[in-house]
Amino acid sequence: MADAVFLALSVITIGSAIAALELRSLIYGSIALMGTLGGIAGFFLLLDSPFVAMFQLAVYVGSIAVLILFTVMLVKRELIFKKIEDKRRKFVGIALMLVFMVALGSVIMDSGIKTITTDEPAVDFRSIGADFLTYYWPALILMALILTGSVTGALVLARREDVENEQRTD
Amino acid sequence: MSVIAPNFKFSEFVKSLLDNVFWIILIFSLIGLPAVQVILFYIEMPVIDGELLTPFLALTWLADPSRTLPILKAFMTTDLFRIAAFPGFGFAALIAAGTIFIERKMLAKLQLRVGPFYCGKIEGILQLMGDGLKLISKEIIIPAKADKPIFWAAPVIFVATAAAFVALIPVAPGWVVADVDVGLLAVFAIIGFFPIITILSAWSSNSKFPFIGGIRALHQMVSFEIPLILSLLGVVILTGTLNLSEIVVSQTNFPWIIFLPIGAIIFFITILAELERIPFDLPEAESEIVAGWLTEFSGMIYGLVQLGTYLKLYAFAALFVVLFLGGWTGPMIWPPFPEEIITDGIVMGPITAKIPGLPVFSQEMLNGVVWFVIKTMGVIFFILLPRGVFPRIRIDMLLSLGWYKLIGLAFVNIFIALGLLYAGVLGPGGIL
Repeated sequence: MADAVFLALSVITIGSAIAALELRSLIYGSIALMGTLGGIAGFFLLLDSPFVAMFQLAVYVGSIAVLILFTVMLVKRELIFKKIEDKRRKFVGIALMLVFMVALGSVIMDSGIKTITTDEPAVDFRSIGADFLTYYWPALILMALILTGSVTGALVLARREDVENEQRTD
Repeated sequence: MSVIAPNFKFSEFVKSLLDNVFWIILIFSLIGLPAVQVILFYIEMPVIDGELLTPFLALTWLADPSRTLPILKAFMTTDLFRIAAFPGFGFAALIAAGTIFIERKMLAKLQLRVGPFYCGKIEGILQLMGDGLKLISKEIIIPAKADKPIFWAAPVIFVATAAAFVALIPVAPGWVVADVDVGLLAVFAIIGFFPIITILSAWSSNSKFPFIGGIRALHQMVSFEIPLILSLLGVVILTGTLNLSEIVVSQTNFPWIIFLPIGAIIFFITILAELERIPFDLPEAESEIVAGWLTEFSGMIYGLVQLGTYLKLYAFAALFVVLFLGGWTGPMIWPPFPEEIITDGIVMGPITAKIPGLPVFSQEMLNGVVWFVIKTMGVIFFILLPRGVFPRIRIDMLLSLGWYKLIGLAFVNIFIALGLLYAGVLGPGGIL
């Protein structure tokens, strides 16, 4: 059962990743990207971590994919894309991807992932929270600072003082 | 003189009826019965009263009304029943239908109109059925340059997503379709799908008004998702769990709305915005942009979108009940099942009918369902009420409300929850 689900998820994830790269229509490409991200959430579910899976869905599919869709819909694609059709570039790209995949695969195979036991109970999200607040607290604070900094930066960049008086805010 | 059927002959009418009966019996006995047997052979049958339910036994029992109850009870424990009928789709669709009728009647009363009146004799009670039949029989018109696959798929996915949301709601103790450990996170993940479906369907119809409505819906939903999630964190902090059933069980003594009223109010306002209801119905502002992102939908596609919208309304109201009003908890008002019917059977004069398998539902379950439905209908009433009272607000007011006021208030709510927790009043090991 798990093997069949794993195969189906792999086909969905890799297939929609290729589709996201190859499709001419930008909207369909971003929908395919959503399929990839959702497939990764499925992998997390298979790996007994529903907490991460749900966050993958909520953050990547629910927010980032929406952002990409929104941007794509508001853009005139003729302005930013020039067609560069080059057979050699394509084959070099595929070869580069294969090299990367083999390298990553050998690293992962050497890392002892084969010894992981399956059919364990789901990872308790309370222990994730406890770990974050005790052992990994410097990482948590660093992440919080980076996020706060980027949000503040986005607000500063988005601020336009010239139009503020024209809009009624009451 | 015109008659409806000039060549009508009664004998031929009877002959056609008999023909139909003959063919039905023939087809049923040659194809239907073997098909039923084959299906029953492959389905894993339950063990009832100590004997395995074989297909032959099942058919015999189905013919005997006094022995069908155990089969029904065995069927009610299956996943199919939960998904399709009771805590899942059927129950939610029933409440959604009731909601549509109540909304139309109540809005009419608020505006000194009559509302649906003629269909079904009593206060237009069959109006919804008539509307459904009309929608099914209407033609589905697709705009000329629409993106057909997305245009067709979006309403179906919309209903499916709303149904997935409904599946997470616990209705009575143990009666929930998907009792997941991270239920509230799953709710957040599912809510995130609605803006995508909306904007895709709006884009795919290749028309101006839907696209404007879709962009507005996207703005509104994305900006109100953040206070929605933040306002529920108070409950999570106090209960220490994300499982919705455990959150309900934690409210046996008092509902969380007593301690977190600010969170409840924020959540209610964000519900109104996520459901695109007045005063936040900018995405389908019918006086400005025809019908917003629903403009190009017609026929049953429109019906599906409406069904999804009302399923979503039920799910959000039920989520409010589960998180803040105590779900199915409440004093026992359902009378206990009479003992003598179980022991002696039903006595009607000289006839005594002993029916095995009673009672079908336990008293706690029925009581829980009654309380849950009462509370949910109350919340739905308060969701419907602003439609008769408030005007629509401007989009800049909407966004500033979402981004400044509600998010700030949500943080206040979180700090109240933390204060209650660290003061030792509530939560794990609290004094209450």
